[in-house]
Amino acid sequence: MRLAFWLYEGTALHGVSRVTNSMKGVHTVYHAPQGDDYITATYTMLERTPDFPKLSISVVRGQDLARGTSRLPGTVKQVDEHYNPELIVVAPSCSTALLQEDLAQMARSSGVADEKIMVYAVNPFRVSENEAAEGLFTELVKRYAADCPKTEKPSVNLLGFTSLGFHLRANLTSLRRMLATLGVEVNVTAPWGAGVSDLKRLPAAWINIAPYREIGCNAAAYLKETFGMPSVTEAPIGVLATTRWLKAIIEEINRIAAERGVPPIAMPEMRKFSLDGQSAPSGVPWFARTADMESFSNKRAFVFGDATQVVGVVKFLKAELGMKIIGAGTYLASQADWVRSQLQGYLPGELMVTDKFQEVAQFIEDEMPELVCGTQMERHSCRKLDAPCMVISPPTHIENHLLGYYPFFGFDGADVIADRVYTSAKLGLEKHLIDFFGDAGLEYEEPETATVSSNGTAGAHGEEAVSSPAAAGAAAPSASGEMGWTDEAEKMLNKVPFFVRKKVRKNTENFAREIGEPLISADVFRKAKEHLGG
Amino acid sequence: MMPVSSDCQNLKEDNVTQSFCGLACVGWLYQKIKDSFFLVLGTHTCAHFLQNALGMMIFAKPRFGVALIEEMDLAREEPKLEQIIAEIRRDHNPSVIFLLSSCTPEVMKVDFKGLAHSLSSEETPVLFVPASGLVFNFTQAEDSVLQALVPYCPEAPAGDKKVVFVGSVNDMTADDMRAEAEQLGIPVGGFLPESRFDRLPAVGPDTVLAPIQPYLSRVCSRLSRERGAQVLTSLFPFGPDGTRAFWEDLAAMFGKTVDLADREKAAWQKIGEQTALLRGKKIFLTADTMMELPLARFLKHAGADVVECSSAYINKKFHARELEALDGVRVVEQPNFHRQLEEVKRTRPDMIVTSLMTANPFVGNGFVVKWSMEFTLMSIHSWSGVFTLANLFVAPLLRRKSLPEFDDSVWLEGVMPSSK
Repeated sequence: MRLAFWLYEGTALHGVSRVTNSMKGVHTVYHAPQGDDYITATYTMLERTPDFPKLSISVVRGQDLARGTSRLPGTVKQVDEHYNPELIVVAPSCSTALLQEDLAQMARSSGVADEKIMVYAVNPFRVSENEAAEGLFTELVKRYAADCPKTEKPSVNLLGFTSLGFHLRANLTSLRRMLATLGVEVNVTAPWGAGVSDLKRLPAAWINIAPYREIGCNAAAYLKETFGMPSVTEAPIGVLATTRWLKAIIEEINRIAAERGVPPIAMPEMRKFSLDGQSAPSGVPWFARTADMESFSNKRAFVFGDATQVVGVVKFLKAELGMKIIGAGTYLASQADWVRSQLQGYLPGELMVTDKFQEVAQFIEDEMPELVCGTQMERHSCRKLDAPCMVISPPTHIENHLLGYYPFFGFDGADVIADRVYTSAKLGLEKHLIDFFGDAGLEYEEPETATVSSNGTAGAHGEEAVSSPAAAGAAAPSASGEMGWTDEAEKMLNKVPFFVRKKVRKNTENFAREIGEPLISADVFRKAKEHLGG
Repeated sequence: MMPVSSDCQNLKEDNVTQSFCGLACVGWLYQKIKDSFFLVLGTHTCAHFLQNALGMMIFAKPRFGVALIEEMDLAREEPKLEQIIAEIRRDHNPSVIFLLSSCTPEVMKVDFKGLAHSLSSEETPVLFVPASGLVFNFTQAEDSVLQALVPYCPEAPAGDKKVVFVGSVNDMTADDMRAEAEQLGIPVGGFLPESRFDRLPAVGPDTVLAPIQPYLSRVCSRLSRERGAQVLTSLFPFGPDGTRAFWEDLAAMFGKTVDLADREKAAWQKIGEQTALLRGKKIFLTADTMMELPLARFLKHAGADVVECSSAYINKKFHARELEALDGVRVVEQPNFHRQLEEVKRTRPDMIVTSLMTANPFVGNGFVVKWSMEFTLMSIHSWSGVFTLANLFVAPLLRRKSLPEFDDSVWLEGVMPSSK
């Protein structure tokens, strides 16, 4: 047992509902106590579902348990009558799973036709969001996918696109644009927007595209095994990966085209992939080579998130923007081996595997990377630490459900990621100016920093010591309360660019501690600067 | 008192509904009681609920958390919370720790009372708060928190006749109500809860309990039973009508006859523009926060046509005056959402007051919506809350009017794959 404040991954029930909420004509019935369907609010408030999520709770009350009554048959019947779904998925919650009831028997007694009901009961104490979503989606594909003639023209299925996915709709748009440019049709996208009839005709596509390591890969593997459909499973994150992705699709399509005796497809002119139809498909290769972007080379980046995004973003930052990766991690322990194998040669040390956000925050505080790519929680942690952060991974937050087109996949996605790196980290000429002139012209940033730290939320190493009345000229305790600074040393510290000031303060204090100095004087500060390389 | 409205008007259904469980009360109570820590003994589901649905972000030192039951804990006889309690004491040093139950440990039949007792110490009591979704809806667990506080309320001696307001409101509202009472010559004993655990009000045989939230029936009857306190039976202090009745009835319990007719009239006049808009509007309340009865009563008196007022829990005694004032309105306890949906489509209300989970879908189906949770987060009590209360209902109507009309193909089509 441990004290948890915040968790990266949702529950099994969350995973189940992400799949069913994505689909047409599929309704989930939760056999659960009041409130376990809270997740509905994330669909209606984050994705802003304009229709009722296809999800009903069959409320289990304490008195029902005492009396041994179950409302499940009644609820299943009501759902069938009111919404007439093609499939009702019945799932227990963590508490009702312990009751070990025969949900299938209970659901059957509703009188609703057997083939319309699917009980999906995973152990919610063992299985979390992604695994449950992947499991249910694979089950659905196994249940419905049926032999059918291949489409005449080259076609693909897009698998694993799921409600509350990270920049889901924009990613889909990006992939659809590229496929249209290739002349490849999309047979079915699933589970997003798919109905039972769509799942049935999955095998009509020539190949499967399953870019998410978390959801869709197992279904693609099943379709390969059972229907001989090849699959492309790399996530097209960055220009290199996208180019590989396109080539892989062409290769697989052409292999089938040859078997079928139809003409092959070819890579179109690259400019056809661009948004305006007349440029390079992505601005990233040019951007990364421009003179001022040389400063990317030494930028120390840390990446944390799910498996797909972490692998894609680490490779992109290192290989395409030439940044220095100082560490990476994932909260998905079950995918850690895969991430390690994908990132061989990319990481300076061990992959961090943890679902405790405090450990990630501690790493960031210790290392103070110049760019953190993480989840909403890292963004939150970085705000407190005043470290630059961009969000690259689920769990999604309201800011990942914006209206505009911000894909992470494809050529368009490479541009979006590079833009975010640029606007998040401090780079280029601006950096040189600040380094050279210190705070000249940027003093307006100060009050804001001071306010943030003086209300105490920023915690350690705030700017309070600067503003506190160190009237007697004596050493004032720093915000951390651990180390005193003389006025003179404070003045020197103030000449350091504001955005690295906290880091310099901290490093100087660490250095002073190392050499056994209880107080930071001008002399100690100078020594520290020398020791730490300016 | 008039007899409670007849049963044909008050229906009870099967509670197939969309709302939160009792743990939701953590959202406002940890902020209200500033020297507290709220510890939920629960699962991943509880933690995910708190962080997602309540949108509770983690600050440097959150004063709530979940003692996470993991698979290996299921086999244990009793949960071992000593280390977690020690961690909380070390990092937060709270005056009190509330130990909230949730569904899984209740199914496991954890002895919460014994557990809380064994974890308690002189300096930091650990108080058991029943809150699980097996029993409690949304706001209802505030009642459990307040009951847990009862033993820590000092005994007021006989003859010490003061009012204690029951229900958590923000400090500004509390100050307003205190001032109002004093102006009427009613001595104030305090609030349950106060903003600190060490400042709980004294309650005794001559205390008058004035519930200011409509979901706190159990703590009131318990204090009445255990301490002999009297409980005010009136309307809840929302809107000009409710506020007048509340203060007049409260004053009467202190032997004072007060006529607030002019005050009520002035308050209605102040919101004349709003009531003009509400007059004749068909309004449907689906059930969520358990504030529905007084809200519907205000709407009815403001001239609106309340099509249906549903609430998860109705106590015929505690809510008697509100039910009486709602005479003629269809009132449903533990409603069935599927039935409500049909009803809404049939009656086409002008506005629906509904939960976070269903608000946007109702908009997507062409309705104007107010999300009910806002009423729990805004200062809508007493005279100073009248304007805010009226505006909460009027804002969605005005906003919809101010936005251009588009046909479905412009504003809705294809927004979601699951939409029709």
